[in-house]
Amino acid sequence: MDLKALDDSRVHYLGKKGELTDLLKGLGKLSKEERPKMGEAINEAKVQIQKLIESRKEELEEELLNQRLLDEKVDVTLPSRNSEKGSLHPITQTLNHIQDIFTKAGFEIELGPEIEDDFHNFSALNIPEHHPARAMHDTFYFDSNTVLRTHTSPVQIRTLERQKPPVRVIVPGKVYRCDSDVTHTPMFHQVEGLIVDKEASFSQLKGLLIDFLRAYFEKEDLKVRFRPSYFPFTEPSAEADIECVICGGEGCRVCKKSGWLEVLGCGVVHPNVLKAVDIDPEEYSGLAFGMGVERLAMLRYSVNDLRLFFENDVRFLNQF
Amino acid sequence: MNISTRWLREWVSPDVNDIELSEKLTMAGLEVDQIAPVAPPFEGLVVGHVVGCGKHPNADKLSLCEVDIGTGENLQIICGAPNVRKDLKVAVATVGSVLPNKLKIKRAKLRGVESNGMLCSESEMGISDSHEGIIELDSKSKIGDNVRSVLDLDDQIIELDITPNRGDCFSVLGVAREVCVNYDLSLPELNYKAAQKGNKSFKSSVSNPKECPKYLTRVIEGVDNTASTPDWMARKLLRASQQLHSAIVDITNYVLLELGQPMHAFDLSKINGSINVRSANKNEDLELLNGQSVTLSEDTLVIADEKSAIAIAGVIGGMGSSTLESSTEILLEAAFFEPVAISGVARSYGLHTEASLRFERGVDFNMAGYAMERATELVLEICGGTASEINETVDSKSLPKLEPINTSIEKISKVLGFDLDPSWVESKFKFLDFDFKKNKDDSWTITPPSFRFDIRIPADIIEELARLYGYDKIPVQRLSIDANISNAAQAKISSNELSNALVNRGYQEVITYSFISNEMHDLVDPDSKKILLQNPISDDMAIMRSSLWPGLIESAKSNIRRGHHNLRFFELGLCFSGIEVEGQIQKIAGIISGNRHNSQWAEGDREADFFDAKSDVEALLNLSKKDFKFEAAEHPALQMGQTAKILKGNDQIGWIGAMSPKLQKKLSMPKAFLFELTQSEIEQGKTPSYESFSSFQASQRDIAIVVSQEISSDELIHSIESLKQNDLIDVNLFDVYEGEHIEQGSKSVALNLTYQSKEVTLTDEQLAEKVSKIVGHLESKFSAKLR
Repeated sequence: MDLKALDDSRVHYLGKKGELTDLLKGLGKLSKEERPKMGEAINEAKVQIQKLIESRKEELEEELLNQRLLDEKVDVTLPSRNSEKGSLHPITQTLNHIQDIFTKAGFEIELGPEIEDDFHNFSALNIPEHHPARAMHDTFYFDSNTVLRTHTSPVQIRTLERQKPPVRVIVPGKVYRCDSDVTHTPMFHQVEGLIVDKEASFSQLKGLLIDFLRAYFEKEDLKVRFRPSYFPFTEPSAEADIECVICGGEGCRVCKKSGWLEVLGCGVVHPNVLKAVDIDPEEYSGLAFGMGVERLAMLRYSVNDLRLFFENDVRFLNQF
Repeated sequence: MNISTRWLREWVSPDVNDIELSEKLTMAGLEVDQIAPVAPPFEGLVVGHVVGCGKHPNADKLSLCEVDIGTGENLQIICGAPNVRKDLKVAVATVGSVLPNKLKIKRAKLRGVESNGMLCSESEMGISDSHEGIIELDSKSKIGDNVRSVLDLDDQIIELDITPNRGDCFSVLGVAREVCVNYDLSLPELNYKAAQKGNKSFKSSVSNPKECPKYLTRVIEGVDNTASTPDWMARKLLRASQQLHSAIVDITNYVLLELGQPMHAFDLSKINGSINVRSANKNEDLELLNGQSVTLSEDTLVIADEKSAIAIAGVIGGMGSSTLESSTEILLEAAFFEPVAISGVARSYGLHTEASLRFERGVDFNMAGYAMERATELVLEICGGTASEINETVDSKSLPKLEPINTSIEKISKVLGFDLDPSWVESKFKFLDFDFKKNKDDSWTITPPSFRFDIRIPADIIEELARLYGYDKIPVQRLSIDANISNAAQAKISSNELSNALVNRGYQEVITYSFISNEMHDLVDPDSKKILLQNPISDDMAIMRSSLWPGLIESAKSNIRRGHHNLRFFELGLCFSGIEVEGQIQKIAGIISGNRHNSQWAEGDREADFFDAKSDVEALLNLSKKDFKFEAAEHPALQMGQTAKILKGNDQIGWIGAMSPKLQKKLSMPKAFLFELTQSEIEQGKTPSYESFSSFQASQRDIAIVVSQEISSDELIHSIESLKQNDLIDVNLFDVYEGEHIEQGSKSVALNLTYQSKEVTLTDEQLAEKVSKIVGHLESKFSAKLR
């Protein structure tokens, strides 16, 4: 029996022309004495039949639903539709990670042009024409006064030309050097940082960068050391090393057995740089730092070949 | 620069081992790239004396030797080296010793004859790759002595990475000074005085005293340049990576490495008349010591005799005047050249010499005299001869000035962020050889020594103090809280939001080089300006990109070649239409190729088409909640009929289209779709502003019309919208049909109109009237026929 047959039965007994309805209609022909008795009996039957039909209906509907559930059953482990997931380039992810850390510390993000003039890329950064550091930069030239920026530092100058201290910015971006081999690509990324304020000291720079490196590598007790170094645009200058994250400081191929990895350069901004943008170095001091993004990405994601970043092989990109 | 610790310790030897010493140097700013022993560890090698040497009875190429190693009993050793012979002093690996290659020496029989040890070559001892035969020790070596100490194999070589400001450290003396300062030690005073018995005067003059403030020469007659360079000197030179030449040249190199003063020796018999230091003449030629012939440029400073240039000042000598083994009369030169005069000169001739490296970085202007005496001493000792007096041309006005510098403990503390003890500071000044006096206001006036030409301003002094204090000991502080809260525009769409919109639609971000090949530029964007690099790495990276498409196309191409066909890539980056700041424009672009989705069970494969690309572009455009328009257009890289420019108002802000079949063929690429947008045009969004919505029922009406195929759907919709009909809140094109039952050249377009009033529920009559107005408008404007 299905729902249709059940409904037919209902009509047969309870419908307008159904048997019980007919009986009810026939009550009038009965005697006064018989009438209530009969009426009661018919109503009783009606209620019973309704009940039976109702319960049968529920049964049938339940059966139907169960059947439907069986019919509609799917293999939930089948792949979903059109679920291709894209990805951000690992360098972008690294930049985002670095930017997030510094913006939490109140740094603004500044950008600048990649084709730069000599003044912003060199002279204003205390790298005059005959400075040996120029030869070390392997610069790409357009003409004698125009270069592809060799570092993100020119944006320090552009920021200070535009904005009076206090300044607290970081500058992510592409930089270029005329050099290409296993460990060098002619284009790579840096993040530059600059603080100019009335009170800004070398020990604050140290504190900031230790905090940054520990946040970046997500290791609260990461060992960091600062070594004296040289950059024309800072003095005192330092390079920061972290304990090798590959071998934990034991000494391996990546850290050249030293247990340390050089990860960034920094220093107190050279007074000549402040003078170049008309800031009085007696009143203000500056702190600056710069880091290679590819290097940080390689260490964090265990990438062992720099060139992979620019080959854009989907087998590489898929992993990020 | 490479330097042997033994040589360094002859000057100053702190009571620490070599490893600790090298770590100290690194932490003081002289970065040690590597420290490596001269020879790997091995024991049991002693000096032996070959007292008998004959042929092996059973092998032609082997020798049977009798070797005295001082034990009273001679050893019988078989040796295969061609240079073994009687009376030679050799390195004997005795039975039981283990060589660096793990070879353990045992008593053995070779072709039936017993051998009790091995005579070693340099390669077997791990000190060079030379297989040419066994090592021949100095005939004066004592029999039975440990070979390690005889050859000084416990010496270590430190490889220093010297920063551009520390030219003074390009010598043993310079590094020794650093060691002294770091360990509070003192250096022995320089004291050289060579015997001066000759009286040959030689005339030299300087025409450019500004570039050459000091020029010293000395004649030494009767030298024997066939004399061999003594072992102790040869060993030090080799361990400093300096090749050996003749004795005289080795001596000048030795003095350069020891004192940091470049020197040159001329063969006096080859100099015509006197010497003049001057700028090169026009088209003057010179054959250099390395065999290279150059035409000198007029701003090059040269050493010249009365005929021609004989050396490039501070860089390299000339072939014609160089010393040979046969030379007997030499002229030694020691000079001070201004760094600016020498800077870049070597590189302009494709050269890089030990002399130019030092003069470019700076040399102590007081060193020339000491170096001359030192070199003379060595020449007399090794090659004999008679030295005459030094001829000295000095222009003291042009010598660098040692300017006094003022600083105070307050200034130092402010920069470093903590307080230093003034008495500690003064003690460091002493070890640094800084001349200082304390002023009445407690500040210091400091004059650096001539070898610290890098110390000019207070910051230089602060850096010296910081590094001597130890960067690691400097306390750590936090930045003070003084962060600006900048005006953060909520409606501004960041690069990350744009990127993520595409990532969520299955795109992978790529980063490609900003320079491309000439060919790609001409194929993809021939109408834009070519911005050429003067010195590109290669022809493939010669032109600054004007569009992101070349990089995206190359990325797609290389992945397709590797068998990946369904690709969606995007990139953000600067594109260049000029070298000025305004010509550098940030763009966002994408490429799709292959199927829209990877093959899967639920749906059939479908090739990506124009409208897939368009929906991705719209995903970007919609972020800004502004109106953009697509308009059919033509582009050299794109397929006619499937190309649109993207407009914001009347400004073109981008392109979208199918890659042209011609380009596909040129690049062997499958069908692909490209888009590119100027980022600044799509990153300015709108802050939302709420408008109340109608509570009355919306009604839909569909119309289908037949119009010419030439009429774009945008035209139809804009034309309806331009009527500004009240209560018409949406027009949606939901079907386009061409083919059977439709006249050739026409198409059927179905539009869905949504009406809603804010005040009433619209009646059927009102709706019918509104729709008929629109139909009437389309009929008159586009000759549309209602279907």
